[in-house]
Amino acid sequence: VGVDYDPYGSGKDVWVIPAIQPDIAVIHVNEVNELGDARIYGTFNWDRIMTRAAKKVFVVAEKLETVESFKERPELTMIPSFMVQAVSIVPNGAWPGSCWPLYEVDYPEVEDYMNTEGSLAAHMARAPETKEAAHA
Amino acid sequence: MPDQWSGFSYIVTNLARFIRPDEVTFSGVNSTPPMLACLLAKRAYDFEFVYINVAGGVQPTPSKIPISSSDPVLSEGSTAIFANEDFYDLCTRGGMDLCFLGAAQVDGPGADERLRDRRLAQPEGAAPGRWRRRGDAADGAARGHLAHGTLETHHGREARLRDGFGRDARRGHADRSLHQARRQARPAIVASGGVARGRCAAARRSRSSRMARRRRRFPTAREIEALRSLDPQGEFERDAKVALR
Repeated sequence: VGVDYDPYGSGKDVWVIPAIQPDIAVIHVNEVNELGDARIYGTFNWDRIMTRAAKKVFVVAEKLETVESFKERPELTMIPSFMVQAVSIVPNGAWPGSCWPLYEVDYPEVEDYMNTEGSLAAHMARAPETKEAAHA
Repeated sequence: MPDQWSGFSYIVTNLARFIRPDEVTFSGVNSTPPMLACLLAKRAYDFEFVYINVAGGVQPTPSKIPISSSDPVLSEGSTAIFANEDFYDLCTRGGMDLCFLGAAQVDGPGADERLRDRRLAQPEGAAPGRWRRRGDAADGAARGHLAHGTLETHHGREARLRDGFGRDARRGHADRSLHQARRQARPAIVASGGVARGRCAAARRSRSSRMARRRRRFPTAREIEALRSLDPQGEFERDAKVALR
């Protein structure tokens, strides 16, 4: 943060803040298509600005939708495909957080995650990845 | 002769030849030659590029060619609507590769007169009416430059910022932001009411080999056919009233 002159000629000092440019933004969305267009149905919080600011955008999506469905409602697309470098389909991937309106925050699970009294081994044993491996 | 230029076809086709593979290219409001250029490039060239426009279109496939370059039909077939504020934001962040800007008027070196004189509402001199406006892409991009020291990135494009652009607009501060802008932003000259002039000639020597191969003295058959398909009745050409001097 610093002080600079006003380029529009007011003669007053203005505060300027350098733009932040992350190398990569990883966001979770509701739907994506094979081109990389992404939709967010719930509150997008910082997702929009992060995708605009980052050099690269990786998208994790609940569901793969058709390109045609995106053409039918292009105004629902939050992140256009030309901004997206990679996509992964991971249903329930935002858990224990929320991906509205599909699921809410799982508060008991978050509280348990924050519990530092239990052992790390017990914590890791409850990870979703271990359950997936058991199903494989 | 069909394989030779008219003033109109020269401008539209050579605007199209600015477009490079895989780049993000924007066409703004009241800019039918750039609109036609983008559509021509989609039809005449084999490479892919991202075409976005002021109507919000992202890789659109319009069912007809509108008279206005901001017609909503230019978003037809898009999988996303890219809002104008998103485009301006992309400019300030250096996310644009090539941007066809409207402008009040330009001189040979490519300086935007409106910016140099800071008389946004009353640009001086004679310029075709379609370019004498404000509130367009040029405004947004220029303000982005002033505020952030970055303009959209026209990698290796032909004209470059004139000194007066930065010094006058920044009230005597020809500082690092101008130099940064020079490195990052090399605006292409906007040809209106005639052929492109100024630094284009010098800059042609520095174009990439890819462009050198693609840029030919005469229009290719595919370019001719593409422009003919976009303007079969010559409506745009008559409207443009391009006069060679």
